[in-house]
Amino acid sequence: MSTSVDSASALIPAVACGDIAAFEAVYDRYSGTLYALLLRILGNAEDAQEVLQESFVKVWTTARMFDAARGSEVAWLISIARSKGIDKLRSRKIRSDRENDAGREISIQSSFVDKTTGADNAILSQERIAVRNALAELPEAQRIALELAYFEGLSQSEISERLNEPLGTVKTRMQLGMKKLRDRLQAFR
Amino acid sequence: MITHEEAQEIAALDAIGAASPDEELTLHEHLAGCAECRRVRDEYAEAVTLLARGLDPVTPPAEVRERVVSGDASNVVDARSRFGAGAWWLATAATLFLALWGWRELAMRVEREKYNTQQAENRRLAEENVRLAQRNDKLSAEMAALASAGTRTISLSGQQASPSASARVFLEPEKRRAVVFFYNLPANAKDKSYQLWIITSKPQSAGVFDVTGNGNASITIENLPVATEIKALAVTLEPRGGVAQPTNTNFFVMGSSSL
Repeated sequence: MSTSVDSASALIPAVACGDIAAFEAVYDRYSGTLYALLLRILGNAEDAQEVLQESFVKVWTTARMFDAARGSEVAWLISIARSKGIDKLRSRKIRSDRENDAGREISIQSSFVDKTTGADNAILSQERIAVRNALAELPEAQRIALELAYFEGLSQSEISERLNEPLGTVKTRMQLGMKKLRDRLQAFR
Repeated sequence: MITHEEAQEIAALDAIGAASPDEELTLHEHLAGCAECRRVRDEYAEAVTLLARGLDPVTPPAEVRERVVSGDASNVVDARSRFGAGAWWLATAATLFLALWGWRELAMRVEREKYNTQQAENRRLAEENVRLAQRNDKLSAEMAALASAGTRTISLSGQQASPSASARVFLEPEKRRAVVFFYNLPANAKDKSYQLWIITSKPQSAGVFDVTGNGNASITIENLPVATEIKALAVTLEPRGGVAQPTNTNFFVMGSSSL
């Protein structure tokens, strides 16, 4: 990784100043996470690559809007990619197609070759394991409700229909799940 | 108004994109004045990204990186143009700009129309106010004439032109003022006016008036000649706005003063 910026937390501000090396560093550090997210949302490599590119264009053009006081840069990047992924999902109405594509994610992930540095990879892997453990602590019903909203962009009522559960129950599950995620957040800051 | 607890419950849903439009609106109104709930909202926004951070990373194809970061930063845009269907983002930006511009223009036009409508309404109300004030003055004068102890009455009867018509004059000699009520006169044409004449040594105009619909009308006369000089009162139909002297003797109502 070649960058004039050593501190990960300063990457986005550097991008905001037009630092190409910082922009490359952001891509190298986070593109794998964002691409995995987009594959999960879109279930389609071509769409995921297109949206990934759109996401990085937005990162470049809106880096000045990043506010470290409000959250981490990875969260900011994920928010951009997730928002664009859900927009794409909705615009192409590919939800039904996506269900038919179940399992594709596994074959895509099998081709994964991590290009992050060894140190980055180790840190990210540790964080990932910790995140998974935190997510595993969520009751399954809460986790499913959150995943349907987050990865499929479903509304409360759509989740209620999908799960055949009362709307109030779904809402409560999501709120409880989000509180637990927020409680776990300190470990990843 | 919602409590902080309610706001934070909605913030949890908003962070994951599951808040309803009404909830979003309520939340944003609350957040505008609540730093603590804004902090909680930001924490939820950060927390929800854990769902993505738990995924195994998947390296995108090398050509994607090439398109995104090769060369200088302007290639990011250029690459997107090559990759997608044309200069999509420029088109999007232009569309957004035009939409915002159009919205601004529309909003300004609406505001201008509202302003003009309001101004017109203000003018109408001002005119109505003047009209009502005049009517109030007229009614006050009529009431005073009717109620005064010194008021004398003169009856005018219908003539050949309008046998069923009549009029009653309430005359206040001390104030040299009179109120005249006309009944059952035929409606006058738009280019004509009724004109009341006070006949002393010669006719003097006491005013013009119109009659519509029910055939009734009233006028108030100020600065009357001295009552003892009034010999009679009569009404003729004259060119609109009245004339200095009667143009005809075709009286509609007429009566003699007995003062």
